[in-house]
Amino acid sequence: MAIVEELEALRAKTLAAIEQAADTAALDEVRVRVVGKSGTLTAYLRNMGQVAKEERATVGKTVNEVRNIVEEALESRKKALAAAELEASIDAAAVDVTLPGRVQQLGTRHLINRVSEEICDVFLGLGYTVATGPEVETDYYNFTALNAPADHPSRSMQDTFYVVDRSGDEAAVRGESDVLLRTQTSGVQVHCMEDQELPIYIVAPGKVYRRDVADPSHLPQFTQIEGLVVDKGITFGDLKGTLDYFCKAVFGPDRKTRFRAHYFPFTEPSAEVDVSCGVCHGEGCRMCKGTGWLEILGCGMVDPNVLEMSGIDPEVYSGFAFGVGVERVACLKYNVPDLRLLLQGDMRFLRQF
Amino acid sequence: MKVSLKWLNQYVDVPSDLKAFCDRLDLTGTGVEGVDKVGDTFENIVTAKVLEKAPHPDSDHLWVTKIDVGACNVDSNGNPEPLQIVCGAQNFNAGDHIVTAMVGATLPGDFTIKKSKLRGVTSCGMNCSERELGIGDSHEGIMILPEDAPIGVPFAEYMQMSDTVLDLEITPNRPDCLSMVGMAREVGAMYREDVTLPLYELEEDSSLPNASELATVEIEDPERCARYTARVIKNVKIGPSPQWLAERVTAAGSRPINNVVDVTNYILFLYGQPLHAFDYDKLVGADGKAHIIVRAAGDGEKFTTLDGEERDLTSDMTVIATPENAVCLAGVMGGLDSEITEESTTVLLEAATFEHGRTSRTSRNLGLISESSMRYERGVDDNPIADYSAAAAALLAEVSGGSVCPGLIDVYPAPTAPIELQFRIPRFCQMMGVEVPREDIVDILERLDCEVSDTADVDVLQVTAPTCRPDLEREIDLYEEVLRLWGMDLVPPTLPSSPDRVGALTESQLLARKINRTLTAAGLNETTTYSFTDPADLIRLRLAEELSAGEHAAADAAPRLGEFAAASGISGDPVELINPMNAEQSVMRQTIIPGLLRSVAYNQAHGVKNVQLYETGKVFFAHEGKKQPKEREKVAGVLAGAMGDPSWNVAPAAFDFFDGKGIVESLARELALPKMRYRALSAEDAPFLQPGRAAEVLSGGTVLGWVGELHPLAVDAFEATAPVVAFELDVEALGKAARIARDYVDVPEFPPVEADLAFVVDESVTNERLVQCIKSAGGKLLADVRLFDVYRDDRRLGAGKKSMAYALTYRAADRTLTGEEVEKTQAKLIKKVCGATGAEVRG
Repeated sequence: MAIVEELEALRAKTLAAIEQAADTAALDEVRVRVVGKSGTLTAYLRNMGQVAKEERATVGKTVNEVRNIVEEALESRKKALAAAELEASIDAAAVDVTLPGRVQQLGTRHLINRVSEEICDVFLGLGYTVATGPEVETDYYNFTALNAPADHPSRSMQDTFYVVDRSGDEAAVRGESDVLLRTQTSGVQVHCMEDQELPIYIVAPGKVYRRDVADPSHLPQFTQIEGLVVDKGITFGDLKGTLDYFCKAVFGPDRKTRFRAHYFPFTEPSAEVDVSCGVCHGEGCRMCKGTGWLEILGCGMVDPNVLEMSGIDPEVYSGFAFGVGVERVACLKYNVPDLRLLLQGDMRFLRQF
Repeated sequence: MKVSLKWLNQYVDVPSDLKAFCDRLDLTGTGVEGVDKVGDTFENIVTAKVLEKAPHPDSDHLWVTKIDVGACNVDSNGNPEPLQIVCGAQNFNAGDHIVTAMVGATLPGDFTIKKSKLRGVTSCGMNCSERELGIGDSHEGIMILPEDAPIGVPFAEYMQMSDTVLDLEITPNRPDCLSMVGMAREVGAMYREDVTLPLYELEEDSSLPNASELATVEIEDPERCARYTARVIKNVKIGPSPQWLAERVTAAGSRPINNVVDVTNYILFLYGQPLHAFDYDKLVGADGKAHIIVRAAGDGEKFTTLDGEERDLTSDMTVIATPENAVCLAGVMGGLDSEITEESTTVLLEAATFEHGRTSRTSRNLGLISESSMRYERGVDDNPIADYSAAAAALLAEVSGGSVCPGLIDVYPAPTAPIELQFRIPRFCQMMGVEVPREDIVDILERLDCEVSDTADVDVLQVTAPTCRPDLEREIDLYEEVLRLWGMDLVPPTLPSSPDRVGALTESQLLARKINRTLTAAGLNETTTYSFTDPADLIRLRLAEELSAGEHAAADAAPRLGEFAAASGISGDPVELINPMNAEQSVMRQTIIPGLLRSVAYNQAHGVKNVQLYETGKVFFAHEGKKQPKEREKVAGVLAGAMGDPSWNVAPAAFDFFDGKGIVESLARELALPKMRYRALSAEDAPFLQPGRAAEVLSGGTVLGWVGELHPLAVDAFEATAPVVAFELDVEALGKAARIARDYVDVPEFPPVEADLAFVVDESVTNERLVQCIKSAGGKLLADVRLFDVYRDDRRLGAGKKSMAYALTYRAADRTLTGEEVEKTQAKLIKKVCGATGAEVRG
């Protein structure tokens, strides 16, 4: 029974070798040496034919037993070694997680355009469309069609930028001009009333220009959003509800609004709208100059003259209009101390938003 | 307008809660811009009585006094306790009633009273002289009050100086509110309170000649003057006004001058009726009569106003004149020669109304904006002028001791008739979105001095608007009045109920948002620069040539464009401002680049090296024969430095041409722009760009704009540091080229075969050319070509040569490619590419 004994010895030797294998490579060496194609145990299997017939059953059984045991041992040792090696490699791969990540720079939107878009989105949600128009307008669309009196000071060269009229008309040749940089986006509203089907629900954002020297609270170029609604049965209550919704959407649900009667040539009745101060919540503080309120926009029911000038019958249709300064909203929301920052292109300012 | 509440309170009950009153004024349309509490300056200054007066132990002129200030000073049990005050005055005795400034009081000159020791004796206040109180000049000693003066009463209250003056913003449609009477009416309507108006009884002195015997009035142009009245007051004695009158005029924001001028100002503040007092004797002509003519000024006529300035007049201005010369600039300012002086004894009192437009222009053009001109500019009611003139004359006689000549000279060519309006109650309620009771509507309108009557239709009121309210011309004007006074805050907020609306962005608005998303994702920061620019910017940008001095003189403003600047995207002339703020902002921009370059320079000057900016906005091109310019939307960007500072694991490369181009390519991808091409721009095509690093951006045959490194000289001209990579694209062109819907392409099902191939070519062979050849030679099986390396080496490749290495991907849509197929295709490809470009395959 020498073969069986040899096999037993091989088993013991192999199991010991497996136990001693320090890593998966050493273990694999053992595997090849014993159960590989030309392994020592494989040789026994291969040479079964030469074993005496009467011994064949016993030897065969033993060989298979040994092989099963060895393979099991190999497998379990392999798992153990792999786990240990993975652990070691994980330990070695640890990093200082406080090191900065690999960041790709994302750009930023300009504060004013961001706020402007935010406001437009509020009105998109209310079923309005966004309308735009030229920045160089005629006196008619900027003033006359909006019921501004002929000698209103805002029309003066002091307050409004005029540009050279290149039409070649007689007055233009004399150096007079009724072409100007729009001082409000209201001209867009007039174009809409003239050109668009009723009803009208629009907001018109855009740049406007007034002859103010740039200082912390004035810019000769700034941004306005005006809204216009013309429909049957529009009420002052609708104006209040709409602007109330707008203020809450932009400034926060806990903010209140109040309407103060005012005067504008293109609306009647007219009002200015205040939103409750976000700093003191109406108690009065430095931000709101002690009033508890911050002035935010002007509004009113569209004056029947304005409707008539655009060919709309004020007995059938009514409407409301409002205008909000985007810089004003942005400054109130973000406490920007100096409006000139908005036109400087200072990266340290732009990248804050 | 300044409104003294003490004064206002004479005509209507002013609520005692000041905060609530101001809020209510604000809400009803009268903005409160300031609140000035007049008595506040006398805080902690009280009436008092001297209890004891003892010599100071350490001084021969100081006194130690015990002063009773009543309950103004109390001991720990709350009982009144006299103050010990060291006093240097000599004019008082124990028992005198005096004025004492207690600790904490601030006297005029910002002198604050503190507890102190004078030569070792504690002093808790100061007994005051008139001068120390700022109410008089007397400094002989302390102010002694009458024996019946109360003790321990605030001095301001004792003197009845306590007042609150509101600074009110009166909107331009409300001339009536520029008067105390108008404000009283307004407050009466706000609180639905009755108003008591002042009454003046005029006594004419029948012993004097009738006014019409002393003066005549002629209005040459009734359009300029709807009514002119004159009264004559004789035996006037010019002197200071009585205290009450001076106080009123001061409270209204004016300075007391003399009794006659103060009366005219008082009536102006009271009724809103400007008056002018002439020295009658200086108007009298040769016939012993004053002949007043209201006429247009002559062009170039000279006139010296009472401030001593000689003014050049125009025919748009109106003057009050005698046959000899002008004596007053109507509604704006009197003349130096006819003004009231201390010697004046006879006053001719003008009460008139002048056309608002001319008055407004006259005062603005001459820079003479006064209380009078401001009121005429907004409109002065002609109807009550006779009454106001009588009131003024009565008051004038009272305070100056004069006598009023009988009769009013009244030339009234154009009386303003009251306007009749209808008020449809249901329409009002429907339009406001709230039910307002009929009786409230009637009450509010009546309190505004409207006459309201019923009509046959129970829903309609007949309303006669008062002539002092020129803003009430139409039914809607009455709606506004009722709404604001009834309460805008009572209208319930609603949303328009119309179903006929859908909120949606247009294609171009969606495009704009996509551009913004892409550029910010590419690391650019949006900015805004001025739309106005310096005409010299195009010269700095090397787009226009400098004009010679002679040309400058001839063609005064903008530089002419060089004909070579086509690639700049500029077409047309600059839009010139007629009244720019300054020369650096005198034309509208034709390109966004100068503004962005200035921002680059600003950042670099402030130590910010890495700049990535973009802007979307209009540029403007004027064309001969066109009233309005062409406005085009552009998107432009500038890159300077790198995308960021080096970090431990990332080192961003310095920006070059390819960063700019990469951004344009990202945009092209996002907008699905077809057939993108980049054409090298020569120095002639684009003088503002660095030759060799400049390309025109095209989609098919459409020029979208350009990308490149700005010419170092242009960058330098804007005081920025090169290199600056930039691009400018036309947004409309982008929109036209953009494909909204993209076609679906099958996701590959079969594996690709990849092969790398390097061609050695002459420098002149472009990547575009090679890729074109490769693609056309590769045919259908070539799925992708990607350039992965460009290599130059004079020794190994030869001078003027470069190696371009491409990763080629072969794939068939319907089968797995065999090695043979690929080899065959690649061999054909190499042959064709080499044949077409003179390339050699690098082994």
